[in-house]
Amino acid sequence: MTMQLVDRIERRRFVGREFLVWLWFESELFDATLSTKEHGSFGLWFERLLVLDAGKAEATRIKGATPAASREAKESLLRGKLPLSAGLHLVLDERESSFTLKAESMSVAGLKLPAVLGPEGDEGPAHSLAPRPAPRRRAKREGREEQEERESDLEREAFYERMHLTRDVESLLEALYREFLSLRLSDAWEGACVPMMRAWAAGQEGLDAEDYRDARARAVPARRRR
Amino acid sequence: MSGQTSRPFVWYTHAPMPALKGSLTYVRYFVDGELPADLSTFLKPIRLRAMKPLDPAEDVAERSGWCRVDEPFATDLAYGDVFFNEYVNLGFRTDRWAIPGPLLRAKLREAEAAVVAKKGRERLSRRERTELKDLVTKRLRREVPPSMRVVDLSWATGDGIVRFFSQSPRTGALVQELFLKTFGLRLVPEAPYTLAARVGLTRAQDKAWEGLEPLTLAREGA
Repeated sequence: MTMQLVDRIERRRFVGREFLVWLWFESELFDATLSTKEHGSFGLWFERLLVLDAGKAEATRIKGATPAASREAKESLLRGKLPLSAGLHLVLDERESSFTLKAESMSVAGLKLPAVLGPEGDEGPAHSLAPRPAPRRRAKREGREEQEERESDLEREAFYERMHLTRDVESLLEALYREFLSLRLSDAWEGACVPMMRAWAAGQEGLDAEDYRDARARAVPARRRR
Repeated sequence: MSGQTSRPFVWYTHAPMPALKGSLTYVRYFVDGELPADLSTFLKPIRLRAMKPLDPAEDVAERSGWCRVDEPFATDLAYGDVFFNEYVNLGFRTDRWAIPGPLLRAKLREAEAAVVAKKGRERLSRRERTELKDLVTKRLRREVPPSMRVVDLSWATGDGIVRFFSQSPRTGALVQELFLKTFGLRLVPEAPYTLAARVGLTRAQDKAWEGLEPLTLAREGA
């Protein structure tokens, strides 16, 4: 990598933290039902772990079923901390996944996918009961080869299925990031989002979700649905 | 699948292929560069950079190379071992001599005592000591097996995305180097900046991006 690219990457790592706090804000404001123009509605909420810090200051690690709902979480925001990583739960097209999103690298850890095909889940290795003309040893060898081939095929199928599901999760995160950037890089960010996010962090009740939704819709360009 | 599966004595730390089983922890890289029309031409450079086990006689403490994704001892790679439809799947294997410090120190003390007694001197010079340490290290390499670490890599060639199943920065730097040497293509790590470039910004957004200031939700005076 060139030094210029490294510098550009490093100088904008904070945007990942802002993306995560924005996801948190939207998840609470819209009762864990988010949407993108590309995917429509889906469920997304914070769970298990939330880590916040402010660079040099000591990190706050909050564990639990709903870490973002704890008082300490909002208090950390008010002390100038932003999320570094968070456990997320996603429900998309009735399929559930959970993972940890690391804000500064936008990387995914511990991604648990819905159940997929696999050698263990299948009916087991193929054994033919039909008599074979070949000598016993040869038949045994051929049977073993067939079994290995079959296991290899199943392994490949499981791999393709898992990659497909992984891409679904990644595609949703990319769509969310795209919409976040549309908002973050528009006048609506300072005009509508930041004041509302400040009120939310301060625990102000009765935030007008519709006002925010309108501002968001104006900033995010229409996109063809899947 | 074919492949050489000789199993030398090594310390082996490898989880089953994460892309196949269990939860997935990985970093994404975006592949920078043009791909050839025929991906099978990659087989030759992959085979060229396949893992070659460490030899105790060599002056090499660590080496990385490719192996089959689910079998680190399979280094004679065939087409079917690597190409899964549009995916190129490889194991990134790193072998390293890791001689336990206390063992090395004990053996070095023994060797020093023997040399001092033989030469009839009180102590060895710094240079003699360094040479002796190299000698003892090489001797121990014949007795202590190297440690092995394998990380799976899956390259979705259609999307131009590599998923590397480790989040260690050091291992990431090593795989970027080997990938460039093998394929002549650069791996650009995913980050807020590189993902923004990938999803695409308009000219106005690009300008706003350049002037971004970090958000704070801190209460005044905090």
